[in-house]
Amino acid sequence: MIPGKYRSVSGRAANNVNCGLHLVIQTSSLPEKSKVEFRLNKETSSFPGRLLQHDLERNYSSRQGDHVNLVSSSMSSFPILQRSSEEKILYSDRLTLERQKLTVCPIIDGEEHLRLLNFQHNFITRIQNISNLQRLIFLDLYDNQIEEISGLSTLRSLRVLLLGKNRIRKISNLETLKSLDVLDLHGNQITKIENVNHLCDLRVLNLARNLLGHVDNLKGLDSLAELNLRHNQITFVRDVDNLPCLQRLFLSFNNISSFDSVSCLAESTSLSDISFDGNPIAQESWYKHTVLQNMTQLRQLDMKRVTEEERRMASVVAKKEEEKKRESHKQSLLKEKKRLTINNVARKWDLQQNRVVNTLTSQDGKDSDSPSQDTPQIEGSAVSTFTEETGSVDSGLTVTDTHLVEVDGDTLSLYGSGALESLDRNWSAQTAGMVTTVSFTFIEFDEIVQVLPKLKLKFPNSLHLKFKETNLVMLQQFNALAQLRRVDQLTIDPQGNPVVNFTLWKYYVLFRLSHFSMQKINGTEVTQNDMIMAERLFGILAHVASSELPPYRMISILGDARKKQFRYLLETKGKKPGIISEENNDSRRLTGENTNRATLNYTTREFYNEKLEEIKEKNKFCKMYIEDLVKEATEINMKNEALHKLWPQMFIELVRDAVIEIRNKNSYMKLCLQQITDQK
Amino acid sequence: MLSPERLALPDYEYLAQRHVLTYMEDAVCQLLENKEDINQYGIARFFTEYFNSVCQGTHVLFREFSFIQATPHNRASFLRAFWRCFRTVGKNGDLLTMKEYHCLLQLLCPDFPLELTQKAARIVLMDDAMDCLMSFSDFLFAFQIQFYYSEFLESVAAIYQDLLSGKNPNTVIVPTSSSGQHRQRPALGEASLLEGVEASLFYQRLENLWDRHKYSCPPPALVKEVLSNVQRLTFYGFLVALSRHHGINQALGALPDKGDLMHDPAMDEELERLVVRSRLHRISRQYRADEPGAFGFQRRDRPETLERGPSASAPSPYPPRWGTQE
Repeated sequence: MIPGKYRSVSGRAANNVNCGLHLVIQTSSLPEKSKVEFRLNKETSSFPGRLLQHDLERNYSSRQGDHVNLVSSSMSSFPILQRSSEEKILYSDRLTLERQKLTVCPIIDGEEHLRLLNFQHNFITRIQNISNLQRLIFLDLYDNQIEEISGLSTLRSLRVLLLGKNRIRKISNLETLKSLDVLDLHGNQITKIENVNHLCDLRVLNLARNLLGHVDNLKGLDSLAELNLRHNQITFVRDVDNLPCLQRLFLSFNNISSFDSVSCLAESTSLSDISFDGNPIAQESWYKHTVLQNMTQLRQLDMKRVTEEERRMASVVAKKEEEKKRESHKQSLLKEKKRLTINNVARKWDLQQNRVVNTLTSQDGKDSDSPSQDTPQIEGSAVSTFTEETGSVDSGLTVTDTHLVEVDGDTLSLYGSGALESLDRNWSAQTAGMVTTVSFTFIEFDEIVQVLPKLKLKFPNSLHLKFKETNLVMLQQFNALAQLRRVDQLTIDPQGNPVVNFTLWKYYVLFRLSHFSMQKINGTEVTQNDMIMAERLFGILAHVASSELPPYRMISILGDARKKQFRYLLETKGKKPGIISEENNDSRRLTGENTNRATLNYTTREFYNEKLEEIKEKNKFCKMYIEDLVKEATEINMKNEALHKLWPQMFIELVRDAVIEIRNKNSYMKLCLQQITDQK
Repeated sequence: MLSPERLALPDYEYLAQRHVLTYMEDAVCQLLENKEDINQYGIARFFTEYFNSVCQGTHVLFREFSFIQATPHNRASFLRAFWRCFRTVGKNGDLLTMKEYHCLLQLLCPDFPLELTQKAARIVLMDDAMDCLMSFSDFLFAFQIQFYYSEFLESVAAIYQDLLSGKNPNTVIVPTSSSGQHRQRPALGEASLLEGVEASLFYQRLENLWDRHKYSCPPPALVKEVLSNVQRLTFYGFLVALSRHHGINQALGALPDKGDLMHDPAMDEELERLVVRSRLHRISRQYRADEPGAFGFQRRDRPETLERGPSASAPSPYPPRWGTQE
């Protein structure tokens, strides 16, 4: 460092032609240590303005001007730079003109060997007058007011171009600078990366503190090793995978919010150092793991070394995420399928109930097509969590387009009447044992009644029954539930079950199913008062039903019920005689528990109609039979009455005949003797 | 026994009038249905029980509608049974809809037709707002009239319509449609202005029914009484008046008077016993684990069925037609 006094000259003498300035450049070994000394040439004094001399002694090791003479030619408006020959020889390849308050680039004469040119901290607005420095390698224009990159087309040897802290809006006019090694454009107003694709030797590109919205168009930068994009407004990054040598990428303080926008980074094999801090993405909980997972070659993240532990954690977390995603995808698929099926079943049900006008039939056709394209039975144990037993089909979920059966822990849900067939399946003891709630939806209650014995067999622990859209319309239908072993809770959803609109339905249920000692009906607890009320309301009905029925009717009704149970049992597969007798005992036990209600039965409409038909037949027969009897009876009666009428007359005639016969005793005696001899 | 009028009727008619054949047929039918069970204790006993129950009116319980409707005695028994079983509902003060009453009816007769209940409800509600709630006594009396005299009421309805539309067996209808309509409309309009038909005219037309009908009709004297109180009446007004008339109710003999409708001390006693027993049941059940039904359990309940004797024989204070069990 050469200490000394330094005088600066205001560079605004460009307006006045006749100012004479000498710029003395004193070269030194290191560019940053070169200083500039300015000496005024007071020979040409027609310069109106005063030229100030400033003391530039400042205590930093940044560039200072060389000892130069700045001469302005009378012809051009640019100051001309001249150095003393000693300096020219000493520092023939460097020229430092920092903080010279230059507003224009001066003409540098006779310095064709110059290799380093430093214009830092000036007020230069345009790059000019350096086209002759064709050996220039290092050009520093940091902290000026340059608005456009220009005037560099002859500097074919240029390797380092520092244009930081200027006012450049566009990257352009770098076509000839094919040897460029370092390009520094930080602190400008650049909005787009362009016109750099030919810089195949470029190693460092600094575009920090610009106005870039995205990163693109990086093809051709085959040597780029460091790319600094800090403090921009970048939302997505592309093309980085086309940079084969890129090792360091700084994206701090941008606007990246998702990993997708920087997905190309995952493809890059050369990246070892990356920074994302100050981006929205860095706030996410999965940030570190995702980055580490996708960029396994990374050595530093956000200026911190990546440890093995972190890498391991990242992969573990990523795997878990993957699993979860897959799982949830599967789940949502299943759910969708379920939803479709339930909709289908619901629609069918509505049609059945004649609630929906048949304009929907065309839609129905369309919709039933799509589910039928799926495989008819998708057995997925996604919902159930039981181990499969060998030999038994233990699926938690069966989905077809007409019905749905689902076992979800302790609930068995059946949608659609086809689902009732599933009760025939071989349920594993564990599954069946866990089921405590059975829910029926979109199934006619009459059909449910028929499978209740099966339900009792297969799911002995079912304590809670739920009915929705099952067409419960009569109180009588509740009688059918009495055949179950035990029901703790009953939920009758008002939707599709008109019986709930009745005032007395709950009491009737409590009354008829009093032997179950139910705990809850439709969610509300059953109190002692409820039970008493139920008994009060319907107790006499029970009494009448039991004690006032003639015994033969009692027997016939009870026998009927038992017969029906047998019939259902016989229809199930795998019947064993042992079971039947057990059922017998069971039903007898049940009826023993509540004989006075046992006669209150429910026969489904079908069976009842069948019975009525039978009765009609029998009636016909009986009528005929009785008619015959009556005919006989009336005939006999008629004959009897006729006899009664005729008898007096007949009697008299009999008597008269007898008297006439005996009138003549002698002839009568003779006649009698004759008769006796004849007889022999 | 050998009364002259009885002997005057030919056999079939006599039997038909007393509906003897119906019961005989039904008895044989029941016999057929339950022959396995009845075989055990003999046919004679079966017939005894059957006709006893006919006498007591319990033969209609849980039978099909066609049987219940078959004879007036059956109908009356059914009404009585309904009253006895559900009197407590009425006593509780609940007002129920027509559908719910129908449900209760169905508990005793599974295939009871809805139209009958609807018609009965119409009487109570005066053909207005069919979803309204009705009290037990209103419904019961209206139902009685509707059910017991259903055929009679049909004919009355036809007569009423005729009168309302101005038709008279004596008038000649000119067969041009427009004038026919013209003729009818003013008559209707007149009628609706004045609400219903003239009572005396109405009664005249009704008189024919008594001669023609084979099925039961309310006693003519009482009907005349009903009609003599008003000048004009509507159909439903007439029915309501019938249902509320004490005399007709007593003539029917199935139900007690309105004032006594909620009284049945014998049944109340029985009910109290049942309630107490059920309470004890519940308490004992709470303390008892799930024991397999031991005989002791059964036996406790069994006696209930054998208890029939005393309660059934409790003399009911109502119409002597119901024979008490000696």
